[in-house]
Amino acid sequence: MAMNDAAQANVIDFAPEKIRKDLLLPVFHTSRRYYALVIALVALGLPGMAVYLYQITEGMGVAGITRPVFWGFYITNFVFWIGISHAGTLISAILRLVNATWRRPVTRCAEAITVFALAIGAQYPIIHLGRAWLFFWLIPYPSERGIWPNFRSPLVWDFFAISTYLTGSLTFLLLPIIPDWAMVRDRATGLRQRIYTVLALGWRGTPREWHRLEVAMRIMAVIILPVAVSVHTIVSWDFAMAPVPMWHSTVFGPYFVAGAIFSGIAALIIVMALVRKALHLEEYLKPVHFDNLGKLLLVMSLLWIYFIFAERLTVWYGNQPAEMAAFWSIQRGRFAVLFWTMISCNFLIPFPILAIKKLRTIAGTVIASSTIVVGMWLERFLIVVPPLEHKYLPYDWGSYSPTWVEITITFGTFMGMILLYVLFAKFVPIISIWELKGPQHSQPIAEAAANATVNPAIRLDNTLPSTNG
Amino acid sequence: MVWVNEPMNAIYGLFPDTNSARRALMALRGASSRFHLNPKAIVVMSSVPLEEEGFGWEEERTMMPWLAPLGALAGGAVGYALSAFTQRSYPLPTGGMPIVAMWPTGIIMYELTMLGAIVTTIVAFVIATGLPNYKKRLYDPEVTNGKILVGVSELDSDCRAEVEQLLYQDGAEQVKEFSNG
Amino acid sequence: MAHRWGMAIDLDRCTGCEACVAACHAENNIATVNADQAAKGRTMHWIHVERYWEGEFPNIRARFQPVLCQQCDAAPCEPVCPTYASYHNPEGLNAQVYNRCIGTRYCANACPYSVRYFNWFNPAWDKPLQLQLNPDVSVREVGVMEKCTFCNQRILAAEIKAKAENRELQDGEVKPACVQSCPPTAMVFGDLNDANSQVSRMAGSVRATILLEEVGTLPKVIYLERESSHGNE
Repeated sequence: MAMNDAAQANVIDFAPEKIRKDLLLPVFHTSRRYYALVIALVALGLPGMAVYLYQITEGMGVAGITRPVFWGFYITNFVFWIGISHAGTLISAILRLVNATWRRPVTRCAEAITVFALAIGAQYPIIHLGRAWLFFWLIPYPSERGIWPNFRSPLVWDFFAISTYLTGSLTFLLLPIIPDWAMVRDRATGLRQRIYTVLALGWRGTPREWHRLEVAMRIMAVIILPVAVSVHTIVSWDFAMAPVPMWHSTVFGPYFVAGAIFSGIAALIIVMALVRKALHLEEYLKPVHFDNLGKLLLVMSLLWIYFIFAERLTVWYGNQPAEMAAFWSIQRGRFAVLFWTMISCNFLIPFPILAIKKLRTIAGTVIASSTIVVGMWLERFLIVVPPLEHKYLPYDWGSYSPTWVEITITFGTFMGMILLYVLFAKFVPIISIWELKGPQHSQPIAEAAANATVNPAIRLDNTLPSTNG
Repeated sequence: MVWVNEPMNAIYGLFPDTNSARRALMALRGASSRFHLNPKAIVVMSSVPLEEEGFGWEEERTMMPWLAPLGALAGGAVGYALSAFTQRSYPLPTGGMPIVAMWPTGIIMYELTMLGAIVTTIVAFVIATGLPNYKKRLYDPEVTNGKILVGVSELDSDCRAEVEQLLYQDGAEQVKEFSNG
Repeated sequence: MAHRWGMAIDLDRCTGCEACVAACHAENNIATVNADQAAKGRTMHWIHVERYWEGEFPNIRARFQPVLCQQCDAAPCEPVCPTYASYHNPEGLNAQVYNRCIGTRYCANACPYSVRYFNWFNPAWDKPLQLQLNPDVSVREVGVMEKCTFCNQRILAAEIKAKAENRELQDGEVKPACVQSCPPTAMVFGDLNDANSQVSRMAGSVRATILLEEVGTLPKVIYLERESSHGNE
């Protein structure tokens, strides 16, 4: 009965030993299907790498970008992936701060998406460089050649913001993994034991260690939120700082952050559904999780359509000739198909699915999320390309069409992301085992004694033999 | 890196649930004078944080929440120094902006402030927990099997049997000794 | 007082012959591209002549406007370059330092006049055309932005010569390639800080306009409108 979905979501009504067995199984057991998947992903991703090397040796001219559309697929992908990376932050940090216990099985999935999406997204500022081998000039290091980054440039702000966010997200991801790695260490043998002994840092589980870990996580949750907001705001300022019609808009900061959280939650839902199927975690990632995330997604969808409406209304009402050229090309001209597809994918299709409780099932939210991920990619594309095609002087208007080079590299990075995630699920339990069981909170001793016989959740163990035998 | 082991003679019990563990812990604390125990030598280990009453969670104190803001301030100062000093040393005007432009400098300061807080938290965590620590220390893999370990890390050998009996009385499933001396 | 280089273009005199375009290519070692690349929009004319048709048949007139880097005083291309490859030099020029450019192409997006050009490939000249390359100007490699520099090499050469001869630069002594090659002398180059220079006088003309004034870039290329357009209400 739907008496208490939230309570249901985090009561572990089966033995903790079963939890450990289920969640540690992928770490200890590698199926043939897994090897096949990894090989397939590497095979599909390698062409992207090869084509990228081709682009470096031949020149950026093999891509479709041209004058005046000097940014195309690569920057679209950059913004897209950095946007996806906002999934983990919202789920882990905000929900942790408001003590929403249903987040527990979901946090590590989300935090992993953040780290890997950032890693992939951070490749694109390098991929799109004309002289990519000199990307390190963005790092402020002392140099005798007078090379120094320009702190007034939004691209340098990008460098600082993404580095900070990556450091923070890695910390946020890795700190709570330590106790789970200790769990693997205690069950492993041979080489695996030696590796995880090193990884577990000698964790024992003393109150001091737990307390410091919890404090560190709380501090990190508070820090990572403003960092995440700032990262995508700064990415949006790559566009807003340039006097390009329809780029130079003050709404870009909040607009991009909302879009990032939106696409991030959608990606999270898709990843959770896949992980649930592949690792047989149906009892851990329950419909209630997808339902709650679906509600969040609904809110973000409404927020997104609000920003789209606000931005387009302002441009249309202002009726400035330069902006209207880009505006109409998006809404009625060359990009109309993409624009209306985007509106459908981001709002028209997901809204009914997510708003109607009966439809907000796992399948429903996954369908909505899939359309949203496509729609958000289109949104990034429509932000980057049409305004560049119609700048101030009509004589210089141009058009952009991607080449096979850009498409292959894009595809390669998608494969790379999936590969990183698949490898992650192998070496780390994808659901945080200790967080799932949750800390034992204060309760009166008499009640605890009474509960001990009735509610097995308080017991950390039962009489079944451990896997150590 | 060589982790030097501290010599230790310990005894501990593995408890199946928090109630028995709490009983044992309180009994050990109560009997600490009788057994010549240093209260600091009484250890608890678990596979989940024990925030229940009786385990001393509320007595845990750490400086970490104060260090993070300090690290943030340090980061902010570094951010200002980095942008202001370097740009003033080699002034290259761009777009009619001042050499040390306030708004962009603010952004760099902000990011380095947050980075300062993050790095300080990491460093504080490492120092406060003492991890990584690969010495051979008092531990039992049954802890990650869900058992709670309650024991004494330094014990006179003449009290050994009594402590063992106390642990069994309070519900230990096993009592073991640990030595790396 | 330091020089502040500017250019005035009298649109009444411009015939659209594009001698300036050819001269610029020759002076600055600019690559030419093939027809496919040109169709994609990848031509590299640092100065190009825009042609507009005015009026209805049979009263059609062609209007020509050479557009080159406006060397803006508040250039939007300068602050956005992450490596300071684009910065404002003390003589008011928007300098492009090829060695610092890593090819982010942000400056090109930020330029409202779209007068920045990117090396999509490594430029190549079939033998023996490489013999005509100007030794005073570098050849840019793939991945580097380039644009009009007001023929900075000629400015520097003239300044060095004047210094060696212990005198000031005369007005009209420095002529970029486009200015030098213009048959009807529609283009004038000089020091805007010198109130008596021809370019300053032309800048003060009642016909003087600048491109995209509303964007606020403060360009230093002044266009003198055609008498006929100016006179018409």
